[in-house]
Amino acid sequence: MSHASVPAGKYNADNPAPHHFGHHFESAEHEFSSAKQGMWLFMVTEVLMIGAIFVGYLLFRLRFPEAFHEAHKELNVKLGALNTVILIISSATMVLGVTAAQRGNNRRSIGMLITTIFLGGCFCLVKYFEYTHKFHEGIFPGGLYHFEGLTVPHAPLFFSFYFVMTGIHAFHVVVGMCLITWIITRIKRGQISKEFFTPVELVGFYWHFVDLVWIFLFPLLYLLG
Amino acid sequence: MSNSHDNHGHGSHGEGHGHYIIPDATIYKTLGALLVLTGITVGLSFVHLGTWNFVVGMLVAAMKAYLVASIFMNLSHDDKSNSVIFVSGFFFLAIFIGLTAPDFLFRGDIFTEGKQIMLPVKGVSQFKRPWEPTPEIVAHGKAIFMQQCVSCHGPEGKGDGPAAAALVPHPRNFTSADGWGNGRKPSQIFKTLKEGRPGTGMASFATIPAEDRWTLAHYVASLGPNVLKDTPEDLKAAGVDTSKDTLGDTEAPSIPITAAMKILDAETAKDGLKGNIKPGHDDLEGYGERVEARTFNPNL
Repeated sequence: MSHASVPAGKYNADNPAPHHFGHHFESAEHEFSSAKQGMWLFMVTEVLMIGAIFVGYLLFRLRFPEAFHEAHKELNVKLGALNTVILIISSATMVLGVTAAQRGNNRRSIGMLITTIFLGGCFCLVKYFEYTHKFHEGIFPGGLYHFEGLTVPHAPLFFSFYFVMTGIHAFHVVVGMCLITWIITRIKRGQISKEFFTPVELVGFYWHFVDLVWIFLFPLLYLLG
Repeated sequence: MSNSHDNHGHGSHGEGHGHYIIPDATIYKTLGALLVLTGITVGLSFVHLGTWNFVVGMLVAAMKAYLVASIFMNLSHDDKSNSVIFVSGFFFLAIFIGLTAPDFLFRGDIFTEGKQIMLPVKGVSQFKRPWEPTPEIVAHGKAIFMQQCVSCHGPEGKGDGPAAAALVPHPRNFTSADGWGNGRKPSQIFKTLKEGRPGTGMASFATIPAEDRWTLAHYVASLGPNVLKDTPEDLKAAGVDTSKDTLGDTEAPSIPITAAMKILDAETAKDGLKGNIKPGHDDLEGYGERVEARTFNPNL
């Protein structure tokens, strides 16, 4: 990528470097739309990966409706709803960060991105409390399950899905926070300008996608028994 | 997205140059809508609408997903091809669900009648005078049928269960009056259930308690084109003392199903079928493990 050639120290968030698009593109617009299309294709693979687990969840839920109904009551709706609100707000701060970068307002963009990371951290913290509480009770996935308060057959299956689905999702949140940190450093190095904001927008997509997955996970796991 | 006046290697897709920048007001409105929809989802979960809870909950989630994708991810102002790409992911997901669910849900020997099949069948019958059919007895017989018989005889008793193709002769079609070796009266069906039909895939179900076997016989008889009844002589021939309310100890003790499986396995091996029967995973109270017909290799 061309930004690697930018000399250190010369450019910063207030004085970004001019962007030179790759020689294999016709124009910066072409470079941008290609990158974006690649990101959408990547997100399709994500849809299918998470979708496979959703299908498994739905089928076993149809097969063992009582077990899934009883097991889902063990989840804390308040914490789940809190995390939903946190993620939705973080999606909004993410867009605000992206649009600020698109307008060339890099200072505001950094502020919004830091807020987004903070909200992502809050999400993980709530998830941490939920997980540790479950572990404390003896609710583990699969064969490790030894919770005495709920001994309905196949209840451990629900929690296997719960831990795998929310675990993969939480992993995506952490990856997203790392990616946002990465674009913040790029902004600070002056590699992002209103002429070139592709990484910011694409990381934004990723973050929204993570939000989108949670939008389905929350009702499926916490609400609809 | 041609950009003829964009040259010299300097990209410029800033404001007013084709790239749509979402106004702050739109972002805040969308955020508000998403929060309201979240509230609706949570609120709805406390209202009991049965299946509709799930449908409405997923619809609200889909609306939220639409808002995020079209506004936050800017698909509404983006190149249409990106929308096509993203939606195609869900299209293939729908195919995935659409093909998997019918396979999974309509495997006759798992569960055919929704919750009914999940009812545990008791090892000892609660019925008195089980040789006299009542709606309760027939219903009980049906519950056993759905667990024990559908894999070969099919959910409607037409002899078209998942394992039927592997069996020669084919399992009996209970809805037809043709070809019944022992006859179609409940006492005759009871005899078949007890002894099996040597030389066919019909094993003995003597491990099912006699009372329950009677309920099963009544259910199978009820599937026929016309329901035949037992005369007092038929019942006497079947070893029933109609002066009593219960069957007593007239029945031979049942054998463990594991032993029955070994016999059946050996028989099928003798008949040229590869004996590869494995015990099922679902325990049925009172019957121990059942034989899962779908572990037959249908190619043999």
